[in-house]
Amino acid sequence: MNVTEFRADLRRWLDTNDLSPGPDDSLDAQVAQLARVRRALYEAGWMRYGWPAEVRGLGGPAVLRAVLGEEIATRGLAEPGIYSMVEVLAPTMISYARPELAAEMVPRLLGGREQWCQGFSEPGSGSDLASLTTRAVPRGDDWVVTGQKVWTSLAQYSARCVLLTRTAPGHAGITAFFVDMDTPGITVRPLRTMHGVDEFAEVFFDDVIVPSDRMLGRPGDGWQLAMDLLPHERSTCFWHRIAHLYTRLDRLLEQRTAADSAQDDDALGAAYLALHTARCRSHATQRRLAEGEHLGPETSVDKVLLATAEQQLFDTVRDLLPGVLELTETPWRSEYLYSRAATIYGGTAEIQRNIIARRLLNLGKE
Amino acid sequence: MDAAERDLLAETLRKTMAAATGPALDSALTDLGWADLLTEAPEVAVPLVFQLLGETGDHASLLNDVVLHAAGRPLGGTLPLPYTGGSWVVWERGGSGSPGVSLDGELPLRVSPVGDPIPLAAGRRALGWWLLGSGRAMLALARTHVLDRTQFGRPLASFQAVRHRLAETLVALDGAEATLVAADDDLGSLLAKAAAGRAALTAARHCQQVLGGIGFTAEHDLHRHVRRALVLDGLLGSARELTREAGALVREGRSAPRLVQL
Repeated sequence: MNVTEFRADLRRWLDTNDLSPGPDDSLDAQVAQLARVRRALYEAGWMRYGWPAEVRGLGGPAVLRAVLGEEIATRGLAEPGIYSMVEVLAPTMISYARPELAAEMVPRLLGGREQWCQGFSEPGSGSDLASLTTRAVPRGDDWVVTGQKVWTSLAQYSARCVLLTRTAPGHAGITAFFVDMDTPGITVRPLRTMHGVDEFAEVFFDDVIVPSDRMLGRPGDGWQLAMDLLPHERSTCFWHRIAHLYTRLDRLLEQRTAADSAQDDDALGAAYLALHTARCRSHATQRRLAEGEHLGPETSVDKVLLATAEQQLFDTVRDLLPGVLELTETPWRSEYLYSRAATIYGGTAEIQRNIIARRLLNLGKE
Repeated sequence: MDAAERDLLAETLRKTMAAATGPALDSALTDLGWADLLTEAPEVAVPLVFQLLGETGDHASLLNDVVLHAAGRPLGGTLPLPYTGGSWVVWERGGSGSPGVSLDGELPLRVSPVGDPIPLAAGRRALGWWLLGSGRAMLALARTHVLDRTQFGRPLASFQAVRHRLAETLVALDGAEATLVAADDDLGSLLAKAAAGRAALTAARHCQQVLGGIGFTAEHDLHRHVRRALVLDGLLGSARELTREAGALVREGRSAPRLVQL
């Protein structure tokens, strides 16, 4: 199915199938809405395009998933951050899980029957992910996991976790598992965030038994698995997020009280230019992906452009709606605060610049 | 034009630009078939030629042709071009020998009292590619310098503050390039010229800083690219002016146009 046809059919379907969220904007409601949207899109087939038949997908190019996510974000049907999580979780399972396991599990995720989470960061391993210390030790046919994860989005709602563990020293000693979150020994504690949406959690593993057939890839494949999901995050997820940010710029343009005043044109133009630049760059990345190119360190440029554009947009909101987010109960409050994290999550802006200097500019070691 | 033909053209252009600049380059490009390239394959010719002008630090009066072609007028002449701040300039061709009046004395620019409205999009795209090339030239100079020069017993390139400035420069340039590739209408061309102007000025700032004292001398090439970026940024609308214009447009339309589609 070609992109134009897909988009036109999808829009027609969304016009007649109302999936608008309700008035409750709590995290519980957002997660329930996400499941509702996924279920409806899956049953109608939309959520299955761009995924291979091995996981009950309907095939077609991966770009269809970017088109679907853009439409969902533009219509505000699901919170884009948590909507996009399938874009890293499902490809990981397709690449690394046993085929039977992927075939059994991925449809549950795509179809909105389950949420999954990703257990990567640890209290002592943030930017330096490879230093992680959550241990997995073999015992008979099983592995026993002990340790702690943090920044695990939606852990408190999740049925499964893609978990990175330490099985030997060094980068080659990281091993990934697909863990059932209801296994005895797992404790989830949501973190309070400054923007009031407690989507992150700490997850504690206390002698948690994981069967060997839940290993993703082979022992030591975990670092490669983590590296392989970056291109997914930085292509399709970014396209979704950019679509979402355009809706927020539109919202600002509608809400500005002095619509006839030219004094804000510099700031509005700069915010628009930054978004447009991120969109053009992401578009080029989508095209390279479609041509079968391998995405690598150059996606750090996409990441810096997007994070910068996001913060600039919400800074502009605060400047052009003076007093609004400080003095009124408005969704801008939470969104402004959340935008502060854009240069931190998914690899800090400093780490991205390190990668650009080392890998793209070939400046050698620090 | 297929990829092999494009590579061949790029190679030929590089050689031509290595041998000549200014009026001599104009003549050489005329002999190479510039007029046919511009009228028959502008989507290939303009990015290639103008970016190379920036990278090599050469100049030629080709912007006239791009604007004349867009206006449906015969190539080969000159016409007043709008400059930031409400001025007009003429990009002389043929080489009278007198130096230009702008901050970049190499360019044969003179101020014109008046001018008529002209189509801007094609010229803005061409200048955008030129600015991008200038930015890449500055980045290349700065990169070489920080790898070669040692202080405190280590190369400048090993200091994170230096590395991050150059990384920021590459982000700005690559972002601008994406807007240029996507620019196919008036607004897209306006935004691309703004992004390219801003990226070239970002490159000038960071590269000048990491080049330190040597980059402030006229004996090092950096200043030529800095001057060129400053002057070209103002031609057919500066980054600042164009950004403001884009702001007015989205304010009045109450919506931000999504210009590129999957």
